[in-house]
Amino acid sequence: MRITSANAFETSLNNLQKRQQALTQAQEQLTSGKRVLKPSDDPAAAAQAERALARISRSEAQLRALDVSRNSMEMAESALGHAGEMMQQARELLVSAGNGSYNDSDRLAIAESIRGLRNDLLTVANRTDGTGRYLFGGQGASGMPLLDSPGGVAYAGSAGQSQAAAGEASPLTIDGRAAWLQAPDPSSPGSSLSIFDAMDRVVAELMTPGRSAAAVALTVADGLGDFDAGADNLAAWRARTGEALRRIDSIGERLSQTRLDAQTDRSEAEDLDMLQAISDFQNQQSGYDAALKTYSIVQQMSLLQYLK
Amino acid sequence: MSSSPLMSLGIKAMAANYAGLQVTGHNIANANVQGYSRQTAELSTSQGQFTGAGFFGRGVDVTTVSRSHNEFLTREAASSRSLAAMDGARLQQLRRLENIFKPGEMGLGHATSEFMNAMVDLANQPADMATRQVAMARAGELASRFSEAGAAMDDVQAGVTAELRSAVSEVNGLARSIAEVNQRIAGLKGTGQTANDLLDERERLLSRLSSHVQVTRMEANDGTMSVFISGGQRLVLGTEAAQLRVLQDESDASRSSVGLVEGGVQRRLKEGTLGGGSIAGLLRFQNQDLVAARTLVGQLAASVGGAINEQHVRGLNLQAPYGLVPSSAMFAMGPPLAQGHLANTRDASGVLVGQVSLTITDPSALQASEYDLRETAIGSGSWVLTRLLDGQTKPVVSGDVVDGMQIDFSSAPPQPGDRFLLQPVTRAANGMSKLLDDPRDLAAASPLLASSLPGNVGTAQSSSLRVTAAPLPTPGATSRITFTSDAGDYTWELFDASSTLLASGSDTWQPNQAIPRPPTDINGFTMQLSGVPRTGDVINVEPTPAGALSGNNGNALALLALRDAALVNGRTLTDGWASAMADIGVRVQTGRASAEISDVVAGQAETARSGQSGVNLDEEAARLIQFQQSYQAAAKVLQVAQSLFDTLLDVAGR
Repeated sequence: MRITSANAFETSLNNLQKRQQALTQAQEQLTSGKRVLKPSDDPAAAAQAERALARISRSEAQLRALDVSRNSMEMAESALGHAGEMMQQARELLVSAGNGSYNDSDRLAIAESIRGLRNDLLTVANRTDGTGRYLFGGQGASGMPLLDSPGGVAYAGSAGQSQAAAGEASPLTIDGRAAWLQAPDPSSPGSSLSIFDAMDRVVAELMTPGRSAAAVALTVADGLGDFDAGADNLAAWRARTGEALRRIDSIGERLSQTRLDAQTDRSEAEDLDMLQAISDFQNQQSGYDAALKTYSIVQQMSLLQYLK
Repeated sequence: MSSSPLMSLGIKAMAANYAGLQVTGHNIANANVQGYSRQTAELSTSQGQFTGAGFFGRGVDVTTVSRSHNEFLTREAASSRSLAAMDGARLQQLRRLENIFKPGEMGLGHATSEFMNAMVDLANQPADMATRQVAMARAGELASRFSEAGAAMDDVQAGVTAELRSAVSEVNGLARSIAEVNQRIAGLKGTGQTANDLLDERERLLSRLSSHVQVTRMEANDGTMSVFISGGQRLVLGTEAAQLRVLQDESDASRSSVGLVEGGVQRRLKEGTLGGGSIAGLLRFQNQDLVAARTLVGQLAASVGGAINEQHVRGLNLQAPYGLVPSSAMFAMGPPLAQGHLANTRDASGVLVGQVSLTITDPSALQASEYDLRETAIGSGSWVLTRLLDGQTKPVVSGDVVDGMQIDFSSAPPQPGDRFLLQPVTRAANGMSKLLDDPRDLAAASPLLASSLPGNVGTAQSSSLRVTAAPLPTPGATSRITFTSDAGDYTWELFDASSTLLASGSDTWQPNQAIPRPPTDINGFTMQLSGVPRTGDVINVEPTPAGALSGNNGNALALLALRDAALVNGRTLTDGWASAMADIGVRVQTGRASAEISDVVAGQAETARSGQSGVNLDEEAARLIQFQQSYQAAAKVLQVAQSLFDTLLDVAGR
């Protein structure tokens, strides 16, 4: 075949340019550390990396939600623990009120103490998680969920529990009505009692002067039953909260694992195999080098060189 | 025998070799001229003079200067160059398009998942204005990524039109030049010699023309070359050139097409018949790749935006008075379009008589396609819809719902022969914007909330409560679901605010099944249970009290659930985006492969053509020496002839 000068130059230049392009691309991949920079570099891998990225950002958001849930539940757990201790103190005070040697003023003092505990309990029941969410607000409360009202403490929150968006059940709140106002009533199965009502009743009765020993004993006995029922209900909620915390931990582990898996998937899909890439780069480098050398040799050769 | 024949022989030999040197010099001078064909001085032996002693040669004559040219290889090179130019033009545009489909954190898909993830934080802190502000910002980001993608595709379209214009004006210039060269060639035809350099000039023009549009050529007896494009349309006929023009597409005015103007008549060229050249590549990109990209992005915008809007209006916002201000849509998307064909019947003022209107009824059923609507046969009055993505056809009547869109054409009925291009999603991403400004407008709260009664024995809880209607069928009503057996049998009752029973029914709950079981509707909600109900358990679904509204996150959770819903034609939005991106990636990949292949083929054809026609400098250098030596020898002959003559004069002079 005839070789023509202009075409030979053109072809060699084209080839040199292609090699240079390949070299530049290999260098771009090496510096970015990514094999897939554009969808066309590997459409399937790009799609896979995209799905993995969505999973990563999703598990990160869920882990954030889970942290909020954990924080709330830890605070609820400690609030309920605290409330349990106060119920125990109230119980001890009530037991002491049954002492036959106490007179009205002794009982008045005890009643004042129980009233103090009752007010403290109400404060605990209206605790927030530090960001304005009421721990006992149920599925939403814009103000304090447990309010002193005519006829006793009323619930202004909503029923049920708010859930964080962690993908699995992860509560943000506790149903304040169920925890504080609806303890199972030991005296009449099927009905419920309010801890605050029970305390209000005991305080009112202990404050009433001139009651007989029998009446006081009845107050103490009934009150103890109610206090115990209330304390048991709070303890049950505390146990549920503990259980939720345990579940939150295991959800967290799963989510962290999912995030790690997704990160691995993304990296496998779009990251560069450095060893392979460096070896490819060196290959291309020596190819380009050889092309440049032979080009300069071949293009120098001309008959005109010899015709002098 | 006189010495004069020797002298004339020497002169002729010198002239012939000089001609050889001249042609060689011309070859060397034009070695780097694109499309130059190597020339050769054709020599022939002069007929000898008869004498009694036989024929005495009279030297050499220059017959002609011939041009080394192979018609087949030249055509081959031109047509393969056409294909390479077509693939190259398409690839260049595809690469621009690909930039819009960025993977990773810069992409549309990530903006969508970031918005969804902002709903997680909103669910954590529904009352917190800062969190709401972040969610609003994410919504704005999502809308602007889509509208930027739409605008970037408009830019790509504008680039295609601009390139078409410049290609078309170059084609017109080339066609005129070819016609002029034809005229000059025809004028020289009478000389009996070929006008080599003019022929080369014409080849060069044809070759440049081929890179814009594939041509077929036909040489006439007078030496002129006629050029045809698009399967027989004449671009150059002898010394007359027709003109190409960039026109608006017949259905979508934002697109371009190309027409041939000849004698005042304008004929639209079909993309498929152009065969090759950059114009064909640009049109193919515009009509296939860009449409695919637009419909893919538009489908995502319409489906995602539509689903979010639908769910958002079902929630309650934080505007006072709580619970009474209806929530509005979060996003505005570009509307579905029904474009009438240019040839459709118009009234006296030029307005289309027949009108088609499109309404999106189910965003999740939208397809990434455009549709053609026309009569089954002109005048038949019955209509057929063709989905252009896959060519599937379907007879339709006004009011039909196809692929999530309702087609209406009863108010202004189309006329016989009318055609419409339906674009339900093509421009949905364009101008997509966030409609809400006040963070309080975000509807994070659900209008209903479910709770299991504290006395329940079983473990059943509502794991998700999703409101499916806005407004609720019976606002303010409470639904009570009472389980009547351990086997999941339940009765439901709907009470109004004053506890009057409005409706009731019963059913059996199965695992993974919603309450109520579709198509039953209690009061516009669907609830999923976790845990197991026992006989006598009660779950209430009651209106969210105004006091609980700011802390409620029910609708944020419902919006978040869209993450896993089949929003985009049976796929989740992440899958929808990933496969749209892969679709464009595959187009670029195959576009690149075919550009590489056709480039190699064109390179080989050019090498073959130039192997025949091109100049090899070494060869010319050798010829230079060859002709120089022959010239020197011929001069020597002349010198000998002269010295012979001098000898004769000397002898005669004595």
